[in-house]
Amino acid sequence: MAHDLRMDAGPQAGGLVGRPLGRREDDRILRGATRYLDDINPPGAAHVAFVRSPFAHARIAGIDVPEELDGVVAVITAADLEGRVGDLPVQGFEGGRVSAEGHPVLAGGEVRYAGQPVAAVLAESRALAEDAAELVEVDYEPLDLVLDARSSDVTMSDWHKVTGDVEGAFASAAHVVRASHSLPRLAPVPMEPRGAIASYDEGDDMLTVWVSAQDSHRQLAGLAAVLDRPEDSIRVIVPDVGGAFGSKGAPAPETMLVAVASMTTGRPVKWAEDREENFVASYQGRGMEADVELALDEDATILAVRARIWADLGGYLMPTTAIPTHTTAMLMCGVYDIQAADVEVLGKRTNKVPTGPYRGAGRPEAAYFVECTVDVVARELGLDPLELRRRNLIRELPYETALGWTYDSGDYERCLALAEELARPEHHSDDARVIGTGFGMYVERAGGLYETADAELLPDGRLLVRSGSSPHGQGHDTTFAQLAADRFGVDLDDVEFRFGDSAEVPRGVGTFASRSVAMGGSAVVQAVGALREKCDAVAARLGGGTTLREVAEAEPGIRASARFESDLVFSSGAYGAVVEIERATGRLRVLRLTAVDDAGTIINPLLAEGQVIGGVAQGLGQCLVEEAAYDEVGNPTFASFVGYSLITAAEMPSVIAAFVETPSPLNPLGAKGIGEGGAIGTPAAVANAVADALGGVRIDPPFTEEKLWRTLQGAVS
Amino acid sequence: MADAPGGGVVKPAPFDYLAPASVDEALGLLGLDSTVLAGGQSLLPLLNLRLARPELVLDINGLAELDYIRDEDGRLRLGAMTRQVALERSELVGQRWPLLHKAVRLVGHTQIRSRGTVGGSISHADPAAELPAALIALDARFELRSAGGSRFVAASDFFLGPLYTVREPDELLVEIEVPAQPDGAGTGFAEHARTHGDFATAGAAVVVAPGGHARVALLGAGPVPARAEEGERALAEGADAREAAAAATVDVEDDHRRALCAELVRRAIREATA
Repeated sequence: MAHDLRMDAGPQAGGLVGRPLGRREDDRILRGATRYLDDINPPGAAHVAFVRSPFAHARIAGIDVPEELDGVVAVITAADLEGRVGDLPVQGFEGGRVSAEGHPVLAGGEVRYAGQPVAAVLAESRALAEDAAELVEVDYEPLDLVLDARSSDVTMSDWHKVTGDVEGAFASAAHVVRASHSLPRLAPVPMEPRGAIASYDEGDDMLTVWVSAQDSHRQLAGLAAVLDRPEDSIRVIVPDVGGAFGSKGAPAPETMLVAVASMTTGRPVKWAEDREENFVASYQGRGMEADVELALDEDATILAVRARIWADLGGYLMPTTAIPTHTTAMLMCGVYDIQAADVEVLGKRTNKVPTGPYRGAGRPEAAYFVECTVDVVARELGLDPLELRRRNLIRELPYETALGWTYDSGDYERCLALAEELARPEHHSDDARVIGTGFGMYVERAGGLYETADAELLPDGRLLVRSGSSPHGQGHDTTFAQLAADRFGVDLDDVEFRFGDSAEVPRGVGTFASRSVAMGGSAVVQAVGALREKCDAVAARLGGGTTLREVAEAEPGIRASARFESDLVFSSGAYGAVVEIERATGRLRVLRLTAVDDAGTIINPLLAEGQVIGGVAQGLGQCLVEEAAYDEVGNPTFASFVGYSLITAAEMPSVIAAFVETPSPLNPLGAKGIGEGGAIGTPAAVANAVADALGGVRIDPPFTEEKLWRTLQGAVS
Repeated sequence: MADAPGGGVVKPAPFDYLAPASVDEALGLLGLDSTVLAGGQSLLPLLNLRLARPELVLDINGLAELDYIRDEDGRLRLGAMTRQVALERSELVGQRWPLLHKAVRLVGHTQIRSRGTVGGSISHADPAAELPAALIALDARFELRSAGGSRFVAASDFFLGPLYTVREPDELLVEIEVPAQPDGAGTGFAEHARTHGDFATAGAAVVVAPGGHARVALLGAGPVPARAEEGERALAEGADAREAAAAATVDVEDDHRRALCAELVRRAIREATA
């Protein structure tokens, strides 16, 4: 390949940006050559099984640990950790109050949800650890339960903003429309459950932690805070990761336990959770309710929005539990030019596993609350829902919303027009079925903060890039390589990427919030561009016709790095759904799903469409079958795939995906984000289509056969 | 297990394991605290979740003598260890007992049917399982063998409740026998599941033949798969599909489930009479 590495190829020679290249990482993945957390087996490792609370709320009166069990290395309870580890840190957000109810590593005097870790058993195998965990006797005294956010007395986070003349707008409005909405909790269900391995070297006081996570640096910061250790005494390695959807972003209490257990026992310690643990103990998404009011003038111009939102946050605040509530609140003006807003979001303590970011992380909630309310307005005022939207869309960008975010770019009208054109709306009913169409628009905060990259010219003239961003299914190795090869002017095969090892990659932020291309990708092109300039300078010194290998030989180890920082960018889109409900049974079929997304410049249309389809699948799952429901005593009813369904390929409708590309002015690529649009736009569009099919009767997801059948029966009688 | 790489992967609570070499040997080992491992598609998840905690797991996967599909004087004989996939691929079954083909294709996913057995599905007695309902509609009977001998139980008498049958702890289900179907018989099978391959919410199996032969069996309609005799009578008396479906489901509790079952019976009848 070195013969291709001509200096005169030039930075634009690649022409790789915008090409639908297949994922180059797939060959390795499909051949099983990947190395996931559970593939790592340090010699002499002890294995962890957790004793988890069977009660949703109880006082722990005592723990009886059996003595001397065959194959058991140690049993750790909160008493053993006292003074040695802190609770998980809690992240705040701008303008919000967040209480310091961080998740304890192990429960002390109280458990606040079924599934909470109470003790950890370390044994020579996971099987022995599970056997021994059954013999740990915990004396629980059950306490009163709260399972509903609206009736909870404990507020763990709150945020309230009033801007513009809301009172005046409602007082003078020609129309005031109210709607209430509820979105159930969802389990993220990554194909690979969570897990961590820790190995402590007493000699150099170095703690190494392998963890299935979305990036290494947030894990590292969490470990440093909880263990009160300097960050440079911890190395975090993220191996191949089989999906996360947000659930592996914040560090887990179990990861902390694994680390402290390794330091205590002097042995490597491994925790690879099973599916049941993942269901009951991994933080969940959604779980929000809202009362929304819109004030409109005689022309149906929206004058003001008033919203009160309740978030069912669970028993504790995980590091990022409160963040989605803020995102929801800040997006309550949607894509509309609304001058006055009064939005309050209350994060309530309940006796359930904590919530946290899950694909969309507050954005699907906002889109659902706003867009379903807009459809209620259209029905009440007898207006075409698309015409109502067109009257109120933001048309000039950048645009600062009443709530204070600046939408950097977008063409909402074009997205809507394209969605309408592609969706082929239908509305009719006969003896067998009812058919309806609905639309939902969204605007999505993406990017923000910073990201890093280091680029290095290897001795053979190839390019090595280390990124602070970290893949777990998104396709970084292809998209980022396209950017790097394009900018550097080499073949894709001459670019290698490394991710995930805190000892090697530059300190970064991570992969979440649809931020990888806009932030990580921008850092990559900046670092590679800087390296290219250095190489060009060396080449100029050497005279013309130089190859990159000759440059590397003349000046070994040329490197350049970049830290790219920007304000938030805002993706947007318009989704359309056509649905059919069978009268006899209530069965819902989504006949067509149209997805129009504006993620700015698209680097790889194939992978971007894949992200859209994946997001749509998760959004549809939420509409059709998914609900992490608890029974009346707070027991999860979803602890296995018997109780929690995911849709399959057979339930996927034809997805018509199209892109509008309005480049962001905030980064050199013009990129925004595409990782979450499908999950954000789909529920609102489907919900509006269902309401259309039901003749205007609204219900909340999941749209089960039984709910739909009962609604149709009600509509008949 | 402790020495296994990765720390071993045995999830269940501890149990003894025996793999008898013959049916006779298996019969000598069956008892109150034992459970029989056939395809394992239901038992292993229950063991792994520690919801099932037998003292002894008797693995009969080595019993080739229970793995056969035979036509004997027009009667179908299925060894209890017949894999569901074998049933699905059997031309004999497809031609003579097509209802079994229609039903087995809806059992889980291909991977599940590759391991799952006919006898295992029957013995497990999930009220939403496909094969028990189809076998009831086909007037099948089951051979239960113990050290003391064999007895034969009609499929419609076999199921007592969810995961509960007339099989005694010392008995092994060894064979399923399905009679020849009446001349000109038509069959239909319809079900609903939340997603493809998921457990059925409800379903119906129907056999209709000239001369007033009608069988309707429901799954997911109650604690056991069962014949809907009112529906059968209505069909035999010439009721149309909708009327017969309503008659078949009068006893189903819960109005939505009743409506769902009625629709599925109606579809199965239409398929059988098409």
